[in-house]
Amino acid sequence: MKKIDLEAAVGFFLLIGIFSLGYISVKMGKLEVIGSKGYTVYAEFEQAGGIKPGADVQIAGVTVGMVSGIRLDKNYEALVSIQIDDGVRLQEDAIASIKTSGLIGEKFVQISPGASEKYIPAGGRIRDTESAIDIESVISKYIFGKI
Amino acid sequence: MKKSLYGAICVVFIFCLSLAPGAVPTACAGDATDQIRETADAVIAVLNNKELKKPENKLKRRKQLREIVDKRFDFAEMAKRSLGLAWNKRTPEEKKEFVSLFSDLLEDTYIRKIERYEHEKVIYTGERVEGSYAAVRTKVVTDQGVEIPVEYRIFKKGTKWEVYDIIIEGVSLVNNYRSQFSSIINSDTYAGLVKKLKEKVKKESE
Repeated sequence: MKKIDLEAAVGFFLLIGIFSLGYISVKMGKLEVIGSKGYTVYAEFEQAGGIKPGADVQIAGVTVGMVSGIRLDKNYEALVSIQIDDGVRLQEDAIASIKTSGLIGEKFVQISPGASEKYIPAGGRIRDTESAIDIESVISKYIFGKI
Repeated sequence: MKKSLYGAICVVFIFCLSLAPGAVPTACAGDATDQIRETADAVIAVLNNKELKKPENKLKRRKQLREIVDKRFDFAEMAKRSLGLAWNKRTPEEKKEFVSLFSDLLEDTYIRKIERYEHEKVIYTGERVEGSYAAVRTKVVTDQGVEIPVEYRIFKKGTKWEVYDIIIEGVSLVNNYRSQFSSIINSDTYAGLVKKLKEKVKKESE
C-alpha cells in the first residue's frame, strides 16, 4: 500500500515536470500552439542580414509583434512575414527597417509609422523597407575605395 | 507551293528575330528608369556646362538645377511622409508651410552637395514596378571608383513618375528625417521643429 503511494507521487511529480517543460518550451520558443493572435503582413528586404523567426518587431521601442517566417523570393530578395498584434494598425507608408540592438546585438524589425490615411490590411505588404546595413562593407568601401 | 511556304516561314522568322533585340531592352529598362534617367542626365548636363561653371553664373546654375529637380521630386509627399504621425494633426496652413520649408531644406542641402560633383557616373542596375509604385536602382560611381548605391522610390502621377524617397547606401532619406522630426516634436513641440527648420534653411542659404 505504502509503495503504491510513493509511486503515485513520483508519477504525479513527473507529470508536473513534463507539463512545465512543455510550457517553458512554448513560451521561450515563442511558439503559437492554440491559434495565433494578430495578423500577418509581409515585407521585402534586399538584405535581411540574418534576422531570424521569432525576432521582435518594434514601434517606438515597444514590441508589437514578431517575425514569423523568412524565405527567399523569386527576385532573390528576403521575404519576411511579420505577425502584428491585433489593435496595432500600420499606415500604408510605414517604413520597416532591420536594426541591430547595440553594435553586435540581436537583430529586430523596427517600424516607423507613417502619415497615410490608408492602413495595411492583413496579408498586405509594407512597401517601404530599409535593409540591414552591413557596417563592415560600408567601412571597407570608404577605406579601400580611395586609392 | 511547298517552297513558297517555307520561304514565307523563313521571312516571318527573320522578321521576328530582327524585332527581338529592339523589343527586349525597352521592356527591361522600362518607363520608370527612362524618366529617372532623363532627370539625371539633365542634372549632369547642367553640372558639366562650362558656361555655367563660371563663378558669376553660380546662382543661375543653382536655379536651373532646382528647376530640374523640382519637376521630378514630389516634395509635398516627401514632407508628409517625413513628418509621419504628426502630419495628420496639422492644419492645412501648417501643412503648406511645412512643405515649403522642407523642400527648401532639401534643395539647399542636396543641391549644394551635387554642385560639387563633376565626374560622377550613374549606372542603372534595375527597376521594379508594382502597380503605381516602383523602385529604380542606380549606382553612382565617383572619381575614385567608389560605387554608392542609390535607389529611387517613385510613384505614378498620371503618366509621370515622381520620387517620394531616396535610399542611399541602404538608408532612407524619409525615414532619417522621420525619426529626427519625431524626436524633436517629442522633446520640444511642433512649433519648435518649425523654428529649427527655419534656422537651418536660413543658415544653408547664406
